[in-house]
Amino acid sequence: MRRALLLALRDLRLEVRDRAGLLSVLAFFGVMLFIMALALGPEEAPLRRAAPGVLWVALAFASTLLSTRAFALEVEDGTLDDLLLVPGGKEWVYFGKLLFQMLLLLPLSALAFLMAAGLFYLPLEKALPILLTLALGTLGYASVATFYAGLLARLRGREVLLPLLLFSLVVPVVLSAVRATAGLVEGLPLSEVASWWQLLAVFDVVYLTASALLFPVVMEG
Amino acid sequence: MLLRLEAISKRFGRDWVLRDLSFALDRGEVVALLGPNGSGKTTLLRLMAGLLKPTRGRVERGGRVLFLPNPPAFHRHLTAREHLLYDLAFHGGRGDWRGALVRFGLPENLPLAAFSSGMKKRLALARLILLGPDLWLLDEPETALDGEGRELLLKVLQEARQGAGVVLATHDRALAAQVADRTLELGVA
Amino acid sequence: MLKATVSDRPDLFTWAFLGLGLLLLPLGLYLALSAPPDVNQGYLARIMYLHVPGAWLGYLAFFVTFLYSLLYLFRQDPRYDRVALASAEIGLVFMGLALVTGMLWARPTWGVYWTWEPRLTTTAILFAVYVGYFLLRGAIEDPELRRKAAAAVGILGFINVPISYMSVKWWRSLHQTQSIDLTTGKIHMAPEMLQALLFNLLVFTLLYLGFVRLRALVAALEARKEEA
Repeated sequence: MRRALLLALRDLRLEVRDRAGLLSVLAFFGVMLFIMALALGPEEAPLRRAAPGVLWVALAFASTLLSTRAFALEVEDGTLDDLLLVPGGKEWVYFGKLLFQMLLLLPLSALAFLMAAGLFYLPLEKALPILLTLALGTLGYASVATFYAGLLARLRGREVLLPLLLFSLVVPVVLSAVRATAGLVEGLPLSEVASWWQLLAVFDVVYLTASALLFPVVMEG
Repeated sequence: MLLRLEAISKRFGRDWVLRDLSFALDRGEVVALLGPNGSGKTTLLRLMAGLLKPTRGRVERGGRVLFLPNPPAFHRHLTAREHLLYDLAFHGGRGDWRGALVRFGLPENLPLAAFSSGMKKRLALARLILLGPDLWLLDEPETALDGEGRELLLKVLQEARQGAGVVLATHDRALAAQVADRTLELGVA
Repeated sequence: MLKATVSDRPDLFTWAFLGLGLLLLPLGLYLALSAPPDVNQGYLARIMYLHVPGAWLGYLAFFVTFLYSLLYLFRQDPRYDRVALASAEIGLVFMGLALVTGMLWARPTWGVYWTWEPRLTTTAILFAVYVGYFLLRGAIEDPELRRKAAAAVGILGFINVPISYMSVKWWRSLHQTQSIDLTTGKIHMAPEMLQALLFNLLVFTLLYLGFVRLRALVAALEARKEEA
């Protein structure tokens, strides 16, 4: 798994040097939150009620954009074959790419939370449980997104196809994540929110296992 | 036996690119793959590498494989040093990357985006020497190389012959005659 | 590695399933329309005889797609892919039937055709997943990649089936809970109604089997034409 970590860090380095991809995601994300805030504001109550939904809609779109980056540079530079020719299994490529996605998504969700706190009056004192929800939700999302990004890497028109496929598959994850976030914002006791966390964790485990097992099968040949 | 193809055929959509081809390669052999454009040389190399699956037939490999595409594929945002270090780490190898760069006359810290196509070819050779696979699959390795680069390529192929097997696709019949023990001619299907 | 030659015509089983299914369909409808009205819902409950078998067969069809997608990925035989494809397509039809009958029932009962409650939402998602399955198939030209990508959707998408089935329990949804609970084996239904329902379920299953075999045959003929 050292290779996976190394691959994730290398991709992070490449992405930072490439800039274009990351900047477009960030810009899109910021603009989206601002427009939502303008559209739903300025009263505090509706903004606060809309916050969990807005947060997850923005995150879902941003992570879909981001997921196309998982293999984008690999395809542009034609280096995907090199990775697949490394002796041994191919799972490490999946885990490396997933880790890379998570390394981008986690700071992005933290940023999203801060922006939503500022624009939509999300309660800052709930930061820890909300961030846990964000982490669980993005992991479920990214595990499927990485898998599909790999599968469709060589396909033309993947930018259109990927969101289409992803959204229908990960709606359960987004749904439970929104519910958990909404519960936290409404001030429900943690024990009630915990059942959503459990569900999210189950999704994460199922999607992660299935994707990791299927990835080598679909990538060969 | 390093590589064995048993009656393989490959089809893209409706078109057969290769039909009923059998081939075997041992260590210490260099085989040149000849044929006009569109005769399926690159496809055959990719099949040998395991990057494509044959529509029919079997491919067996006994060893580590590297495939050098034409043009060579590198991450343009990395420097030559970084690229070789990552390659070594992924393949679990240990080698003198600095020596390899010096030998092929390449700068360490220039991003690969600034490399000319000849320099990329040289880097590809350096990478092959460094990773030392058992089976070398080279797609038109001689293109874009200058006279000195060509000399280096000939040397590299001689070194590869010690213990590894090489298949190289080329349009350069002089090169093929010079380095290859056998040739395999593909026709347009 | 296509084995054997594909027959041009449906075999005996296909004809038998289809014929028997079509023959018994009017009988099933008769039983449904002569079943006693429900205590609370009156005659409206009769839509259940189409709704429940439709939903069940939809779930079953997606399960078959899941199974054959797995088989395809591990055996790489296009025949498995064709069954997965056929089952997904027929499953969509049955699921569509369940959605439409559900909406027709919801209008007089809940006052609206559609509401975003868990069962309906998860079922709509399920429907969308398998619509995505066909969009994906249509978008990929290379047959092998198409089959692989579709198989992946067939496997990962199936996780929505248990979610959809269990949603009425997990989320205390507006949709009523199962009358025949497959997880506990409890049945909450009058015997006459149960008979009519089970009969319709049988008819739908026969039709499902017949149509899947027919559709897989058509897919095989298509593949042969594509390869020729």
